[in-house]
Amino acid sequence: MFEARLVQGSLLKKVLDAIKELLNEASWDCADSGIQLQAMDNSHVSLVSVNLRAEGFDKYRCDRNLIMGMDLTSMSKILKCAANDDIITMKAQDNADTVTFIFESPSQEKVSDYEMKLMNLDQDHLGIPETDYACVIKLPSGEFARICRDLSNFGESIVIACSKEGVKFSAAGDIGTGNIKLAQTSSVDKEEEAVIIEMQEPVTLTFACRYLNMFTKATPLSPQVSLSMSPDVPLVVEYSIGDIGQIQYFLAPKIDDQDT
Amino acid sequence: MGILGLAKLIADVAPSAVKENEIKNYFGRKVAVDASMSLYQFLVAVRQEGNMLTNADGEVTSHLMGFFYRTIRMVDNGIKPMYVFDGKPPTMKGGELAKRQERREEAQKALEKAEEAGNVEDIDKFSRRLVKVTKTHSEEAKTLLRLMGIPYIEAPCEAEAQCAALAKAGKVYAVATEDMDALTFQTPVLLRHMTFSEARKMPIKEFHLSKVLEELNINHEEFIDLCILLGCDYCDSIRGIGPKRAIELISKHRNIEEILKHLDKKKYSVPEDWAYTEARRLFMEPEVADPADIDLKWTDPDEEGLVKYMCEEKGFNEDRIRSGSKKLVKARSGSTQGRLDTFFKVLPQPSSGVNKRKSNEKPESAKKSKSGRGSSKRGR
Repeated sequence: MFEARLVQGSLLKKVLDAIKELLNEASWDCADSGIQLQAMDNSHVSLVSVNLRAEGFDKYRCDRNLIMGMDLTSMSKILKCAANDDIITMKAQDNADTVTFIFESPSQEKVSDYEMKLMNLDQDHLGIPETDYACVIKLPSGEFARICRDLSNFGESIVIACSKEGVKFSAAGDIGTGNIKLAQTSSVDKEEEAVIIEMQEPVTLTFACRYLNMFTKATPLSPQVSLSMSPDVPLVVEYSIGDIGQIQYFLAPKIDDQDT
Repeated sequence: MGILGLAKLIADVAPSAVKENEIKNYFGRKVAVDASMSLYQFLVAVRQEGNMLTNADGEVTSHLMGFFYRTIRMVDNGIKPMYVFDGKPPTMKGGELAKRQERREEAQKALEKAEEAGNVEDIDKFSRRLVKVTKTHSEEAKTLLRLMGIPYIEAPCEAEAQCAALAKAGKVYAVATEDMDALTFQTPVLLRHMTFSEARKMPIKEFHLSKVLEELNINHEEFIDLCILLGCDYCDSIRGIGPKRAIELISKHRNIEEILKHLDKKKYSVPEDWAYTEARRLFMEPEVADPADIDLKWTDPDEEGLVKYMCEEKGFNEDRIRSGSKKLVKARSGSTQGRLDTFFKVLPQPSSGVNKRKSNEKPESAKKSKSGRGSSKRGR
C-alpha cells in the first residue's frame, strides 16, 4: 500500500508544470524515504531529477518499494482538475496497475477522485556522481527566467561566464548580440532577492536556450534558483520545492566540434 | 532485397529492440547511409506526375534532387551523414539478380500492355518497377556529394556490409538503410526512414541488434541462420517455413545443420545443393574495406561549384541551390550539443517494475494481479 497526502496540493501541480514540457512519461520511484523521479528528455540532452521527502508530506506510507510509470501529459490533465487550495492524496496498491488521485477541498465539502492507468516504462537510469562545482550562483528565480527569455531572442545558445566580478549571460545571433551582467549583491537584506556567487575558479560554458527556457517553468516553485557549473560538465539548475524537496535539471553543454 | 519479414518479426517478438525517434534527436550523430539503396529509392519516389524529373536535355535528375535535399535535411538536423556506394555484387547474389532481371522483364511486358490499353495507373506502377540504377547515376551522386562536402566511400562489395563494418568499429553511430540485412552484417544500430521526405512525417525507427539477440535469446551466428531461413539475397530458403516456424526451429536446434537433421523432409522440401554455409560465411566475413583506414571528413560546400553543376548542367533553380548550400555552411558553424550519457554512466537496469514486483509478491496475489493486468500495462 502506498499513500501520500499533501495539504499544499498546489506544490504537486507546480512540479508537474515544471517537468511536463521536458518529459512525456516518467517513472516515480516510491520508497520509505520518499518519492523520486529521474528521467532524461528524448534527445538525452537534459535530465530531470525530482526528490520529494517523506517527511514533507502530511501523511506518508509506503510499505513496499513501488515504481509507477506515468504518462505525464495525462497526470498533468488530472492535476489540472484540482483547485490550488485542494489537499492532494496519491494512493496505489502494492501490485497496482493504476494510481488514484484524491482531491479534497479545504472545507472537506468536495472530494473528487481520479484513477489513472500506469505504464511499464523501460528507461535508462543515470548515476550522477557527487561533484564539487567550481561555481555556484544563486539568484532570484524570476530574474533567471527573464534572462533566459530575453536572450533567446538573439540566438539559440546562451554563454554563461562566471568570474570574480560576477556572472555574465550572453547570446549572439543574426540580429545582433545581447549581454546581461549580474554583480554579487553587496548588502543582503533578503536572501532570496540576492545574487550570491561562490567561486573556486572562473567557468565559461555554452548552453541551448530551448532547454534553459523549459527549466524556468519551475520558477513558481521557488523564489530562488541555483546554477552550478564546472568546466566541461553538465550544468545543474536547482529549485527547491517548498520545504519538501527539490527539483534539479542537468543540461549537457555545447561542445566544439572535433571533426571539422 | 534484405531479409524477408525480419522487421515484422523483430517488432513482434522483440518489441523492446525497436524504438521510434524524431530525426532532430540524432543531432551530432555520424550516420552511414547506404547510398545504393537511397539512389534506387529516389529514382522510384522523387517524381512529378509519375515521371522522373529531368533537365532540359532529358537527363534524369530525380536522384540528384533526392541526394541534395535529403542530405540537407539530415545536416540541418545536426546529423553528419556519410554515404557508402555498392561495389561489385557478390557472386552468391547471382541467383537473386537473375530473379530481379526476370521480374524486370515481366514488368516491361506489363508496361507495354498498359501503354496500349492507356491505363495511367498501371503505366505509373510498372514504370516504377523498371527503375534501374546505372553507373552514371551513382557517378553523378558522387560528384554532388563531393561538392556538398559530404564524405562517401565505395565499398569493395555490398554497401550494407561496409556500413555495418563502419558502425561496428565505432566510426559511425548507426547505419541508415531500409535494408534489414544490415543487421545480419552486425550493425549495432540500424535506422529506417532516415532518408524519407520531410512531408511524410515518418518517425525514424531504430533497431538495436544487441536487444534483438537478447530478447530472442540467441547469439549472432544463430541470428544469421535465422535470417537465412527467413530468406536472404544469397540463397534460397526452405519452402513452407515462415517467420514463426523459423524462430521456433532456431530456438530449439540452434543452427541449420541441426534443423536439417530433425526436419521432416517429406513435409518441407529443402532446396537442392542448398548453399546456406556460403551465405552464412558471406554474412560472417563479408568483403569490406578496413574501417580503420577510412578517414571521414566533412568540409564546407563548394557553393559556386554546386551552382555550376546543379544549375548550369542539371537545370536546378539557382536560388534553391544557393540557399541549400547556405544551410550546409550554417550547420557546420557553431558548436554541437553534448549528450548527458557521455558525462553520466547508465546504471545497470535493476529489472523493470513488473518483474520486480512479481518476484516478491505472494503467490495468491500473483494470480489476482495477472488477471487484472490488461494491455494498459504495456505502455510502449
